[in-house]
Amino acid sequence: MDVQYNTTLETLERLRAESMNAGGDKKIEIQHRRGKLTARERIDLLLDDGSFEEFDVLKTSRGSALGQEKTYAGDGVITGHGSIDGREVFVFSQDFTVVGGSLGEAHAQKICKVMDLAARVGAPIIGLSDSGGARIQEGVDALAAYGEIFHRNVRASGVVPQISCLMGPCAGGAVYSPAITDFVFMVQDSSYMFVTGPSVVKTVTHQEITAEDLGGAMVHARESGVAHFTAANDVLCLRKVRRLISYLPSNNRQRAPILNLRDPADRIDPALDYLIPENPNQTYDMNVLIFSILDGAEFMEIQPDFARNIICGFGRLGGQTVGLVANQPAVLAGVLDTDASFKAGRFVRFCDAFNIPLVSLVDVPGFMPGPDQEHGGIIRHGAKLLYAFTEATVPRISVIVRKAYGGAYLVMNSKHIHCDVNYAWPTAEIAVMGPKGAAEVIHRREIKAADDPEAMLQEKMAHYRDTFANPFLAAQRGYIDDVIFPRDTRQRLIRTLQLLEEKEAKGPKRKHGNIPL
Amino acid sequence: MFDKVLIANRGEIAVRIIRTCKRLGIATVAVYSDADSRSLHRQLADEAVHIGSAPARESYLDSEKIISAALNTGCQAVHPGYGFLSENARFARALTAEGLVFIGPPPDAIAVMGDKIASKELAVKAGVPVIPGHVDALKDEEEALSVADSIGYPVLLKPAAGGGGKGMRIVETPDQMSEALASSRQETLKAFGDNRIFMERYIQQPRHVEIQVLADAHGNVVFLGERECSIQRRYQKIIEESPSPAVSGELRRRMGAAACDLARKAGYTNAGTVEYVLDANGGFYFLEMNTRLQVEHPVTEMVTGLDLVEQQLRVASGSPLPFGQDDVKVEGWAIEARICAEDPARGFMPATGMITRYAEPRGPSVRVDSGVATGSKIGVYYDSMVAKAICYGKDREAARTGLVQALNGYHIEGIVTNIDFVNSVLCHPVFAAGQLNTDFIADHFDGPRPLEPPDPRLLKLSALTATLVHHVRTMVVREAVRPMISRIGTDRDRADIHQYGVRCEAGSFDITLEKAPAPQVWNISVDNEQFVVETPDFEFYRRRLKLTVDGEDHRFRLRIEQAHCWIAFCGLTHKFEVYTPKEWRLLAHMPERDANGPTNTLECPMPGLVVAVPVKKGDRVYRGQNLVVLESMKMESGVAASVDGIIADVMVSPGQTVEAGDLLVRFAEPREKDKGTES
Repeated sequence: MDVQYNTTLETLERLRAESMNAGGDKKIEIQHRRGKLTARERIDLLLDDGSFEEFDVLKTSRGSALGQEKTYAGDGVITGHGSIDGREVFVFSQDFTVVGGSLGEAHAQKICKVMDLAARVGAPIIGLSDSGGARIQEGVDALAAYGEIFHRNVRASGVVPQISCLMGPCAGGAVYSPAITDFVFMVQDSSYMFVTGPSVVKTVTHQEITAEDLGGAMVHARESGVAHFTAANDVLCLRKVRRLISYLPSNNRQRAPILNLRDPADRIDPALDYLIPENPNQTYDMNVLIFSILDGAEFMEIQPDFARNIICGFGRLGGQTVGLVANQPAVLAGVLDTDASFKAGRFVRFCDAFNIPLVSLVDVPGFMPGPDQEHGGIIRHGAKLLYAFTEATVPRISVIVRKAYGGAYLVMNSKHIHCDVNYAWPTAEIAVMGPKGAAEVIHRREIKAADDPEAMLQEKMAHYRDTFANPFLAAQRGYIDDVIFPRDTRQRLIRTLQLLEEKEAKGPKRKHGNIPL
Repeated sequence: MFDKVLIANRGEIAVRIIRTCKRLGIATVAVYSDADSRSLHRQLADEAVHIGSAPARESYLDSEKIISAALNTGCQAVHPGYGFLSENARFARALTAEGLVFIGPPPDAIAVMGDKIASKELAVKAGVPVIPGHVDALKDEEEALSVADSIGYPVLLKPAAGGGGKGMRIVETPDQMSEALASSRQETLKAFGDNRIFMERYIQQPRHVEIQVLADAHGNVVFLGERECSIQRRYQKIIEESPSPAVSGELRRRMGAAACDLARKAGYTNAGTVEYVLDANGGFYFLEMNTRLQVEHPVTEMVTGLDLVEQQLRVASGSPLPFGQDDVKVEGWAIEARICAEDPARGFMPATGMITRYAEPRGPSVRVDSGVATGSKIGVYYDSMVAKAICYGKDREAARTGLVQALNGYHIEGIVTNIDFVNSVLCHPVFAAGQLNTDFIADHFDGPRPLEPPDPRLLKLSALTATLVHHVRTMVVREAVRPMISRIGTDRDRADIHQYGVRCEAGSFDITLEKAPAPQVWNISVDNEQFVVETPDFEFYRRRLKLTVDGEDHRFRLRIEQAHCWIAFCGLTHKFEVYTPKEWRLLAHMPERDANGPTNTLECPMPGLVVAVPVKKGDRVYRGQNLVVLESMKMESGVAASVDGIIADVMVSPGQTVEAGDLLVRFAEPREKDKGTES
């Protein structure tokens, strides 16, 4: 072999080695001391052993107008593809140890390359963010680069699942890439996201606030609804991503994998017959029903700490992934408010985009009343959920468990907005409003004129309850396809999903609808 | 014999009595409160009568309602079970006055045995040894000191009324007397409206041993061996057995004869129990006589082959006992564990909720007396005991290991129970050796956990189970996505050996799984110790798993929680974190998080009724100060502040019912907040 060739191999080896340890041992040590893993370690955990294939190992920035001296192989981001439980995914992982993971032109081009490829081959794209933000030295090139990423996020939306893991800072315009993606994971204590940071907040509004309080994982998990999942550390976060992937198809042409957990499809659960309390004002925990019916009692809840009056998440029925939307009577009596409508609406659209059947479990007393909600746009937000359910063409099944009152009943995947099959438990109450409100409206004069108005109210309420607080009137009209025994819910749902397996529904020809965003 | 009997009770004992009645062809009438309208005892009885709202005072303790229910349904007799009205002489008299039979002793016998002084006097007359002590209530401190001198320290101050250890004080030296006497009086006055206090010698390392007697109206009295009930928590029995490892044949005869003498002296009929305290030298002293069927009667039934409820019914209907003392044979051993809806991790506070899954252990030597089923709701109104698990064996060890196995497979979800706690007692080496005394729990446990480290082998079995579950569950995903994977190239994941790093709070383990050639068989090494494990087909929804480890069957209960797996086995309950080698290596960089960080809220530790809120918004409160007073399971207790602070908001008000975990009080944000710095 000639000398020239050997030297070339050596050069390649040297450059690769540089890229493997681009930030240097000291930076890596600091990263670890902060409780964070390096970009490569994260990829290693996320993907199957030995499956990672890297692109653009040698890519560097072209230097900057400011005369930035040093360039780094890889330019602060590691990109490529590998497998999760055998299925290909694309990944980019920002390297905080290399110029703070800051995003410049070359860095962004690497990300765009894998995004393009992911969309073309139909594989999920997973971004692991840990970046100080735009590389200021690159000026408008850095901003342009962000725009390119946003553009691809939007183009890929609904084509392949896009997942963002926030494992470090993410500030300024950079937040909008994760915001467009389907699911945002945040690591507690080490990640934060905000449009303007604490120092700007202080200058503009004179408020003192920490990065954690402004945009930490818990803030976004509880208050803003930006984060769909949180994890205690990087290791658990990446494990959770793998788990989420197991529920999803790789792209919008596929169906989700069928997972056989050996949970019998005809399993009945007698406990469900006792779930609904005898007193209609008492609450119960909807999770009992959810964990009872799903395969292996496995449920991956989305935004578990945000708008807890509605529960959204993935589970499996007969091995097939379903998107579950359930009112939670244990929180705010399960009403729909602005946050709940937004949370469920976005989830429903994700499921529809990726061929995941929707199952709704309904116990909704109505929309949340009050000026806060009205002025906060409950009309706009409630319309999102209504639109999302109505628009969805995947199999849609609804089970009315207890209350189904008024407009909120219609919104919650009712027969009237064309869900495929609508079941009700015998405890269902399908009516325009609750007995008290209804009795007060219908019998206002009688109650007022009565010797004992309270007793008269009670009497009228009882009458109303006997007439309407049951599923039988709706069943007579055909609005309910069947009144089912609670214990049979699982087997009825699975049977119905079988029925709907080959469902085809096409909307009218149009560019796209105009969801009330 | 009776044709129809009303059972004035609820829960497992009502169910148990109904079962015997059914076997004997006796019709049954159950009574139930609002809280029990869907309960098992109501469903099983031939008829059921609603007797009022949930609080016991308005239902199960309302003798008028129960008597009229019995009359209206044409019952001839009433079985009171235990608790509620079972030791209420007035109730027994009222029944008799209405021409109904009270299935229990004559009212006078109940009355005399219900009085601590009278019963002790009677015992002395019957020649039954009593603990050295003073027969009169103590007048004052001066008398207390002189009496104590004559009895000898340590002494026990004991209130005349009540039970359950309320108002009891141990005094070891004369200088403790004043304070102990005062607080004892105060406590008993508050609890029972009676401040009479007695004194007796305090027996150290005492065992609680009791004799079951059975007497008919024809003068026949027999005893059915003894039961040892030394394992108690706060004076509540939790594990009982028969016979007692501390009682020889000769001692049994003496204790039994004394018990029978007392029963005769009292004019006793029906089933009763004479409780003794047994000291380390085989001396036994009369404590009290329980004039009813005991909770722990099944252990006697299992070693004697008798049905005590059947005997109660026969005796009450006037029949003579069909056997004499010489016919009573005690064979083998039986141990019982009480299963209570209480949360060991929260100081054994009562737990409530709906039982969402319920599976009892089964087997030829296992008996479960239960008042619940799937769908049962456990509320705050009654005793927290939901069931009893009893196991029979040819000897004590067989009964013990059988019960341990049974509890490993006893599956209750939806409510928290003490199953794993009682199992950890049964698995404790000191218990296994039969070295019992009434301080056992206090001496060997810190809260719910044994003081000694867990048996390493049991821990390893738990760890390997968690690892196996994790591994198999992971493999299911691999299999599921196989059809979606590129078929180009070869499979890269064909390893037969899988390594894991596993940790729980009791330790870390290196675990290697290797699939053996035989189906469902694994060679597993845990820290280089080898196990051959045979698994069933994994059916994760069961959350119960039977593994055959080195030829022995073991049952595990499991719960997968996020990324981790809880395993309950032989009293050990641990959350196992199972990691691949690369995860394990990188885990070293992950910060340890304090799960119970500073909290500025006070959560309700148990379900109950808010009785009082002695603080208000803006109050400055101190750690340990009671902020809310709750009533739960008939007990009032305070919920103390966990921090010093200023109250920002009180979220509850008196009269409100609260659940465990409900927010009671919010404190103002701590002023000195740890300000994080921006990186």
